[in-house]
Amino acid sequence: MSGLPSDDLVEDYKISLEDLTTNDRFQINNLTVIAKENTEHASAISRVLENHIGQTPPMQKLPALYVVDSIVKNVGTPYTLFLGKHMYQTFMNAYATVDQLTRRKLDEMLKTWKEPVPGSLETRPVFPPEITRTIENALIRARTAAIERERPQVNRPRGGTPTGRTNTQTPPQGMPRPMPQYPNNGRSMHTPTPPQGHHPDRSLESLNRDLEALIAAARANFANSPFDPSSQARLKALLDLQGILQSRQLAPDELKLVREQVSSLAASTPNSSTHSPVPSMPVQPVPPVPVPVSTPPTQTPQSLQNLFNAGTLAELIKATANRQQPTPPPQIPNILPQMHPPQMPASSTPQPPAAAENPLIAALRARGLISSQSAPPTMPSSGTPPMGGGSLPFFIPGQSHSTPPVPTPPQAGTSSTVPMNTASMKIPRLGLVVTLYEAKSNRCGTCGRRFPTTDEGREKKARHLDWHFKTNQRMVDASKRAQNRSWYVDERDWVKSREAGDDSGPADTENAKEGEAGADGTASKQGPPKSWIRAPNDAKLRNTPCPICQEMFESTWSEDVQDWIWQDAVKIANRVYHASCYAEVTMDGPAPRSSTPQARTSTPDSVLGKRKAEGNDSPGNNMRVKMEPA
Amino acid sequence: MSLPGLELTQPSDERQNVVAPPSQINLTPGSEWRFEVAFGHSIKVKLLTGTAEIFGTELAESQTYTFSGAKAAIYSWNGCELEVSAGETHTATFDGVTPTAGHGAGGCQSEYVSEETPMVEYANAHFALESMREETQDSGKDGPRVLLLGPDNAGKTSVSKILTAYATKVGRQPIVVNLDPNEGMLSVPGTLTATAFRTMLDVEEGWGSSPMSGPSSVPVKLPLVYSYPHPSPLDADGSVYRPIVSRLALSVMNRMAEDEDSRETGIIVDTPGILSSGKPGTLELINHIVTEFAITTIMVLGSERLYSNMVKEYDGKPSASPSADAFDERIAVVKLSKSGGCVDRDAAFLKTAREFQIKSYFFGTSIISPSPTAVTLSPHTSQLDFAGLSVYNYTVTSADDEDEDEYDPSQLNMGDSFSPNNGGGDNYNPAESDRAAPLPGIVGLSVDPANSVGDLSGSSKVPLKKVLPPAPTALANTLLAITHASTTATPAQVRDASIIGFLYVASVEPDKGKIHVLAPVGGRVPQRAMIWAKRWPDEVIGLVN
Repeated sequence: MSGLPSDDLVEDYKISLEDLTTNDRFQINNLTVIAKENTEHASAISRVLENHIGQTPPMQKLPALYVVDSIVKNVGTPYTLFLGKHMYQTFMNAYATVDQLTRRKLDEMLKTWKEPVPGSLETRPVFPPEITRTIENALIRARTAAIERERPQVNRPRGGTPTGRTNTQTPPQGMPRPMPQYPNNGRSMHTPTPPQGHHPDRSLESLNRDLEALIAAARANFANSPFDPSSQARLKALLDLQGILQSRQLAPDELKLVREQVSSLAASTPNSSTHSPVPSMPVQPVPPVPVPVSTPPTQTPQSLQNLFNAGTLAELIKATANRQQPTPPPQIPNILPQMHPPQMPASSTPQPPAAAENPLIAALRARGLISSQSAPPTMPSSGTPPMGGGSLPFFIPGQSHSTPPVPTPPQAGTSSTVPMNTASMKIPRLGLVVTLYEAKSNRCGTCGRRFPTTDEGREKKARHLDWHFKTNQRMVDASKRAQNRSWYVDERDWVKSREAGDDSGPADTENAKEGEAGADGTASKQGPPKSWIRAPNDAKLRNTPCPICQEMFESTWSEDVQDWIWQDAVKIANRVYHASCYAEVTMDGPAPRSSTPQARTSTPDSVLGKRKAEGNDSPGNNMRVKMEPA
Repeated sequence: MSLPGLELTQPSDERQNVVAPPSQINLTPGSEWRFEVAFGHSIKVKLLTGTAEIFGTELAESQTYTFSGAKAAIYSWNGCELEVSAGETHTATFDGVTPTAGHGAGGCQSEYVSEETPMVEYANAHFALESMREETQDSGKDGPRVLLLGPDNAGKTSVSKILTAYATKVGRQPIVVNLDPNEGMLSVPGTLTATAFRTMLDVEEGWGSSPMSGPSSVPVKLPLVYSYPHPSPLDADGSVYRPIVSRLALSVMNRMAEDEDSRETGIIVDTPGILSSGKPGTLELINHIVTEFAITTIMVLGSERLYSNMVKEYDGKPSASPSADAFDERIAVVKLSKSGGCVDRDAAFLKTAREFQIKSYFFGTSIISPSPTAVTLSPHTSQLDFAGLSVYNYTVTSADDEDEDEYDPSQLNMGDSFSPNNGGGDNYNPAESDRAAPLPGIVGLSVDPANSVGDLSGSSKVPLKKVLPPAPTALANTLLAITHASTTATPAQVRDASIIGFLYVASVEPDKGKIHVLAPVGGRVPQRAMIWAKRWPDEVIGLVN
């Protein structure tokens, strides 16, 4: 339909679409109107839209899809037909690359497509149910796959299936070979032809079978002695090898090498061939809806997961699990987490170095059998997580995930993102529990508080220990005298207050408080004069007389402050003076740190003692004068 | 006073327990040790090896922790060894509380190890919240606001403790809001509170302690307290509860706006079980809370029906936050399993627990627990002139009369029977005791539960009435909440005011117009409006002497 006359139009439309970078209602309306006025070019316009959605950066996919939405709702046929044709690919492709927020929007949009256009007489949904249903199914599957994959160290909730790792969501039964990793440039996906490529090489099949037998044996072995790291390593190596075999087509000589490895392994494994392996790949016609290509949640480091294809592994696990009724391997997942070095969820590439590559793979690589270029998924060190796509790891059915795809949103750290939904709550994430414990291994012996082993952590801990020390000291002191509950603060103070940790700031907050207290002082029935300080603990200071009058200070017990205080004293630059002496010397009227003009009287105590201090901010604030005791 | 027979057996029991060697308990990874210790008895627990936590708060190795009057569980992610021994039975027992040592390890009434716990779910709830909190750092949106719902004894408070403990553990500062008047948080029952938690929770005391004049081995927490002296939020059809919740939410939002740490971490709201009971009016109250706190995450414990209701009502809906649109912030409803360790706390236990909360407000935790870190406080007694006080009383009755009867069957009768004793019986204020014939303009329709559909916006008619002299004798053994409102404030202001502290009325001398009170702090009692917690919390007899 893209005849000459429409070329200009198409070009214009394309440019307009490219200008659409935000969810701009006006622009979208405009594009809808153009589409409406040019229904004769609907096919071309639809194509432009599809292409645009495929190519545009993730941030701009949503507005473009909104254009589609607007057109199909406002114009309807023939756009619905043209756009519906490839809607699955267009939608899923976009969905895969956008972030979580946009996905939600897409979900909502999809929901509206299942219903008739609001306010129209048409009773049929916007898009035929076949289309929306396919997309929905794929989304559900992808989500499940993501959730499955999320369980890093699988400890399936009680009552789950015995194998902790299978993809519960319909292990793809009919996948003789994994999907080829064909490049995904966003547009070439129109027909997700599941490759039915039959391998001519029968020996590969037998090799596969041998390998399976080995895996089964290793699995049984592992189930029996779950703590034996060698059996675990062996099992993993086999699984990895199988993954390689099944995800790639190896050259004959490569195959030969693999076979040698396998047979040497087989030789060392008793019983390896006692049971004839069940051909675990029943060939069934696959429905057009493709299969979630999820990397299964194994305990192998993430990159190695790429070695596997969900289908085959699920298949394998299922088969082996069936074969091993007597020893179902639920312990495996229980044990595995402990064997792995704690994984820092926040680190961008969760690759325990030791476990990243097991000897077998290494051996294979050393022989040049696995060349990283030829097999992108086997690049354990490349650090590319299998799939980015926002916070929810996402696997697009029918789409390979191996190629460096359209620019995807942040990938690092996604592994630690835990979705807030009921299903997600059930998934054990022992790897994350580490953040509560091992991640901060520096413990306070007194209260059990943890600190990171960083310099900052050590510093915090030092301050924290200081706090304990001071508190203990104060508690010993405090036990000798009465304490009481304080009044609660009011709203304003509460809003303004900041929780002082037990690790922040030098511990002289108390001194500061003392300063404040001393600044305003208070009077009570015993009448500490306006200027007073807590009697210093420092012996030297305590025995130092007032520099002016050379008289010693006298400690008196203040009921209100609940401490020993020095009356008529001010502390200035580490020396303590009698407030009255100081005032006299400085000759500036009131004692410098006193707030009332009571600077100097011959008998400050007696005068001030009668004062009932009201409305000041001293510690005596709320306890001014004791009422008649009952 | 215990019966003679009991007195004989108990000490011998005690002796046995003391002599008996401490028991060792080994926890495998992912299991927990559940124990119940009666009030008046105590156990000592020591972590020998491994890691262990109680409601998310980690135990330090080789430290001795003392528990008394507790139903709790020590969980271990990685496995641990505990040593449990009997503590000395507390000598200072109170009326009605007989220290009973059970036959479990260390004299627990009941103790066992369970490997079935929903801790994985609770931890995931924390991790999911952490994921949301991480988002806030760059985006500038507020941290998650969590609402915990579930029937009584479903473990709501335990989960909120776990979430709080984990959050503080990773350096966050959640604001924890307690909307359950049955159980105080850092305060007495009959209060609604909000507290920012930065430091760790107290292993022995649950939440910790509000500030005292002296030091505390665990950093104190600073609560913002409002008085709600009714057992159920449904009382007066929520017409009292709702405005207080709004006020509390406002303060919390203000704090969030100014306190970056709190803003990033968000809020955890604990609720009374009755909100999840499905009674008429509860859904409206839930909706009120969801709106006022702009809740983003609703966690439902132990009620399928409520969960499904909440999903229908809220899941995927935008939150009430003003920035919800900008960030496309949507409410998530999540179901959490109830722990098999949740035990029904019977009315007697709860009553004792409330009593101890009030006692420890005045006297410190040492009154409950012989723990070496427990604090002894010295409240002050004083005599007040009742005429000089400005005491308000809620003139509402329960929206659910049965409940009220259940909670406090005797209170009103008592008021009635004592009223003749009042010297000036003539000007006795009907509002304070007369429930059958409430003042028309004040309580009006709210009395009749059948009328609960009727809208009582209540803003113009706050069911708060000044108690005029002479001092009613029913004041005795109850609490007076001192508000921050001035003595001349309007009833609405008094209702919405935060609380300075509480007075316990030890006795009333109607003739002289004096009341004897116990105040936490010495000195003059602040001259502010007070709210008489007449109906709730229940009376505590004999706090003084």
